[in-house]
Amino acid sequence: MKDFKENFNLKDWKVHVLCFVIMVIAELIGTIKITMNGARGGGISFSLIPMLFAILIGIILGGAKKIKKETMITASPYISICVMFLIVKLSCSIGPSWSKIVAAGPALILQEFGNLGTIIFSMPLAVLVFRMGRASIGAAFSISREPSIAIVAERYGLDGPEGSGVMGAYVTGTVLGTVFYGILASIFVGLKWFHPYSLAMAAGMGSASMLTAAMAPLVEAFPDLAEDIQAFAVTSNTLTNADGLYMSLLIGLPLTEWLYKVFSKNHPQKGVESLDEASDIVVEKEDM
Amino acid sequence: MADKKKKEQAVESPGKVWATRIKVLLISGILASIANMIYDWRTGAEVIHMPWEVFPALLYMFIIVILGCLIHDLLAKVLPFQVPVILYVALITTILSFPFAGWFATTMQTEFAKIGLLPLCTPILAYAGISAGKDLDTFKKQGFAIVCTALIAFIGTYIGSAIIAQIVLRLSGVI
Repeated sequence: MKDFKENFNLKDWKVHVLCFVIMVIAELIGTIKITMNGARGGGISFSLIPMLFAILIGIILGGAKKIKKETMITASPYISICVMFLIVKLSCSIGPSWSKIVAAGPALILQEFGNLGTIIFSMPLAVLVFRMGRASIGAAFSISREPSIAIVAERYGLDGPEGSGVMGAYVTGTVLGTVFYGILASIFVGLKWFHPYSLAMAAGMGSASMLTAAMAPLVEAFPDLAEDIQAFAVTSNTLTNADGLYMSLLIGLPLTEWLYKVFSKNHPQKGVESLDEASDIVVEKEDM
Repeated sequence: MADKKKKEQAVESPGKVWATRIKVLLISGILASIANMIYDWRTGAEVIHMPWEVFPALLYMFIIVILGCLIHDLLAKVLPFQVPVILYVALITTILSFPFAGWFATTMQTEFAKIGLLPLCTPILAYAGISAGKDLDTFKKQGFAIVCTALIAFIGTYIGSAIIAQIVLRLSGVI
């Protein structure tokens, strides 16, 4: 109780004021649609929504050294706390959409195996093209969020090449992940290759902030389907939260190890420089 | 180094954890209500919801989150494996959203409808943006190879899941 009183204060007011200012600016900018036309008529279009501006402004200010390191570290655990509101808002669409979720049950369960797509796409690139050595295992077996770091730390240790791989990918995800998914999802909405329900399920990959970014363009493009999109996305995300660890341990890592053996046989590996700073990165349980 | 950090996190007292949780929930709730108002206004919605109009919704959310955290903290002592807090929060909300929850289910639906999904996300990503800077220096030193591999992995899980979902939804006649 004493600890509670000591810590229940507004000493960190700067973080919240900064968050407020960034949020207001981002909302005032609104949604901006960007279209890039191809040479032969076809084109790619995507929209930048306020939440992407929010993260971009933060990163730019951080890059320009306008935010103190201390402030950045203070803000980090706050993400996982305010994400809870979003989870509640999303989960309350499950009840009303229940009959649809049951009907789509097989798809929801089987698409979980799609999370292994990380390996299939990025292992060939990492081993055959970049010749990254065993760092490729750490970077490719998952989307490298907090649970993945725990797995690598336990299996290989974070000091080895696998550790450099997972930490490098983790940092990439923290800095670029949400913006990348926001734009990627927006492009896929425009391409119309997939039904919105499929994209909604794809958005649930176990990280709440990435879920947010990948689902938002869908909700914006299909407001009539918003309820179902939310229900599918959050169900998929919750499933990944529950099965992700086992999926990685039982299928993901063995498959990555096997592919590494196959690919690296005739391709000598250079490896990557290990990151001395890797051990200094503060890993918060952002999405746990 | 990693072990040391783990230990530091482990000794964080429950009082401090709860103080941070409650403080940030209250502040980010207020922030979300303001974002919601600006969003309504910017998108030309028929009704612009003033911050105080969405307070009931935020209050219900707050209660559910606190409940989820309580259950998490209690069960963490007895369960042999870790369960993330958001799993409990998602589960409680899901159960309450079914018609058998009666009054609560209907109230939740009408109240939650007043706060938009997208403005609810803006404060989250604003915090994320502020904290992302801490990894920026390491990120810049990152080799092109790892960044590329990570981004392709991101595409991989997204497309992988979308393809399987699309095929199975087609085969089972949902779409």
